[in-house]
Formats: sequence, C-alpha cells, structure tokens
Amino acid sequence: MSDTTQHCAQFTDDLAELALGILTGHRRGATLAHVESCPRCAEELEQLARASDAALQSAPDIEPPMGFEVRLFEAMGVRQPPTRRHVATRWILAAAAAVTALGVGLGVGLSQGSSPPGQTTVLRPSPLGTLVSSSDLWKGGKRVGSVFAYGGPTPWIFMTLSDSAAHGKIICEVVTKSGATRWVGDFTAKSGYGSWGAPLPVAPQDIRSAKVVSVSGTLIASATLT
Amino acid sequence: MADSGPTDEALLAGMALGDQAAAVAFVRRYQRRVFGLAYSMTSDSSVAEEVAQEALIRVWRHAPVFDARRGSVTSWVLTITRNLTIDALRMRRAVPTDPADFAASAMMSLEHNPEDAVRRGDVRLMVRTALSGLPPEQRRAVVLAAVYGRTAMEISEEEGIPLGTAKTRIRSGLIRLRAAVEQVRAVEEAP
Repeated sequence: MSDTTQHCAQFTDDLAELALGILTGHRRGATLAHVESCPRCAEELEQLARASDAALQSAPDIEPPMGFEVRLFEAMGVRQPPTRRHVATRWILAAAAAVTALGVGLGVGLSQGSSPPGQTTVLRPSPLGTLVSSSDLWKGGKRVGSVFAYGGPTPWIFMTLSDSAAHGKIICEVVTKSGATRWVGDFTAKSGYGSWGAPLPVAPQDIRSAKVVSVSGTLIASATLT
Repeated sequence: MADSGPTDEALLAGMALGDQAAAVAFVRRYQRRVFGLAYSMTSDSSVAEEVAQEALIRVWRHAPVFDARRGSVTSWVLTITRNLTIDALRMRRAVPTDPADFAASAMMSLEHNPEDAVRRGDVRLMVRTALSGLPPEQRRAVVLAAVYGRTAMEISEEEGIPLGTAKTRIRSGLIRLRAAVEQVRAVEEAP
C-alpha cells in the first residue's frame, strides 16, 4: 500500500460523515484539508454528497392539507391564482353536469381499483343520478374526506380521502338503517389520499353511515349520511 | 423534476426577480415534496404544514442567493426543509418519526422495478430501492445521519452501539446509496 493510499485510508469514515454534514471538530478540519489536496478523495466526497442529498429525496410526495396554497401565497404576498383543487372541483362538477345531461341507460361503468394509487378514479360516461345524501368523513374529530351517495337506475357512491391514515388497500363499507354492514369495494389510497366511485349494493336512501376500514378492520374514517 | 415547463433554475431566477407567476409554478411543483419530507420526519400534519410553509417562504426570499455550483435546486430546497423540521422537532421537544418508519414510508413508494428506474433516470426510485436493500441497522443509521442530522456519536449513544460500529454502518449504507445514484448518473451521461 502506498503512502498516499495509507494517508487516504485515515479519512475513510470521515469522508462519509463530511458528505452527510455531520462531521464536527478537528476531524472536520483535517478531512477538509486532506480533500483539498487529494483529487481522488475530493471525487469520492462529491459522490457521497450526492448520495446524501438523494437520501432526503427518498421521502414520498404528500399532498398538503386543504388551504395550504392559499395560506402560503398570502404569507408570501403573492396574488392567488385558482388552486389546483378549485380547478379540479370545478372540472368534476362540470363533468358531472355533462354526464347527467347524457340521460339514463348507460349503466354506472365506474372503474374500480384500476387507477394509480392516490389518484382520482376516472368515471366513464354514465348517468350520475340524483344526489341523495352527502357528508364529511371524520376520524377522531378531524375531517378527512367526503362521501356522496347517488340514486337513479344504478345507485352509486363516491368518496374522497385527504390527509387520512389510509395507505395501500382499504375497504369501503356502508351500514344500512337496519344495522346491516354491506361491503362496497376495496380500493387503494396513497399516503392518506384517494378518490373513487363504486356501485352501491343497497338503495342510497337506506344507508345510515359509510366507513373506510383497513384490511385488518381498523377504522380509518366514517360518515353519517343524512 | 419530471413535469415539463421551465427548469427549477429558471423558476428560481424568476422568483429572484420577484416574478409571482414563477413563485406560483415553483410552489406547485415543490409543495408535495416539501410537505412529504416534513411529514415523513414528524408524522404530524400541523407541524409539517408549518415547516413546509416556512421552507417555501425562505426559498422565495432567498432565491437571489441560490448558487447552482453548490448543488441542485432540489437538494437546496429539501435541505432547508430538513433543517427547519429538525429545529421544529427540537423546539417542541417532539418525538421524530422512527427512522424505520421513515424508511418504510419511502419504500412504500416503490412501484416500479429498478431497471425501469435506471432507464428513466429516476434517482428517487433508485435510492428507495437501495434503501430497501440495506440491512435494517445500516438503513437506520443512514436515515438518522442523512435525514435527522445525527452525528456518529449521537447514533452510537442512541442505538447503544460502539462508535466504530456506528461509523461503519453510516459509511457502508451511504456507499450503497452512492452506487445507486451513480448508476443513474452513468445512464444520464451516456451518449
């Protein structure tokens, strides 16, 4: 082993810690001095620093709570353009109105569980029917979503979840006024977020409540429908 | 970033000049990443929202001093977020997300195979894959150091392991992540 290699070997662990920004004291000074005079270690430090940066990037993207953009732009003093969610809501309402105008007879035709996790399930053209009831989904005093039950030739239900504990496969159930629990479908949420629609196994007028549970049966959110 | 439109650097340059449209585009590009990092570190939505807001305001205010020679915009923004999150956790004496849970939330985002990630130049996915392949003790040490800013000494004390073991775990884990990152870079730089 050459003198240079032996000298570099003294800084093996310190280079990683320097790249991570956690090296302190005289070791930090000594390692920095060595790197300045050693192109090989300087290159290794650069690569390790890129890896350290990448570790921070491993965290998943998560949609901030409702209203985050509005509050942020106010704090920044930036004029507020329509938020994505406002645009999305307007689009959904417009699409719903257009679909309703198509009339009856097409069948519900919702895609179940085929969308990417955490994204709104795409509704193929179908009669939306009449909104029979709607409510917010709650968990522990916190609003975590909404539920809409539609009547018509083929009753169906639409749910959205945001900032909830849901991740991965989750189950939607409804409880009828007679107390029976009926399975509606299983869906996928991502980091607390998801939207979907599915045919209802019972008449929407007969539903007392809706709930979202994990595959192990843990309650994620519930709503009392009125 | 994967989405089209102006580069991060161009948006930051616009923000430095006070361009509000650039600020809006930047916020919409980064808010999920910033909030995602803060939430993954704290498991607390309200703390994460405060941190994310403060981080993006700092980016807006300090855009003129961003130096591209010192790293990417993404690294800059996420480092600001990480440091603010660590400060928030300290100020509130709050319990941070367990490193194992942080790594688990990152790994839950694995949806594609690594070969696709390399071909698409997806560093994030490659790092998640590399993280998932680390022995649990190395993964924990890397997350504690790279995300929570713990020194080797602090990791040694928290984990109840010798200092030399903590250093080895940090270094070994980081080298594995480096291999993943350099694999993507090699594809990006190939003619």
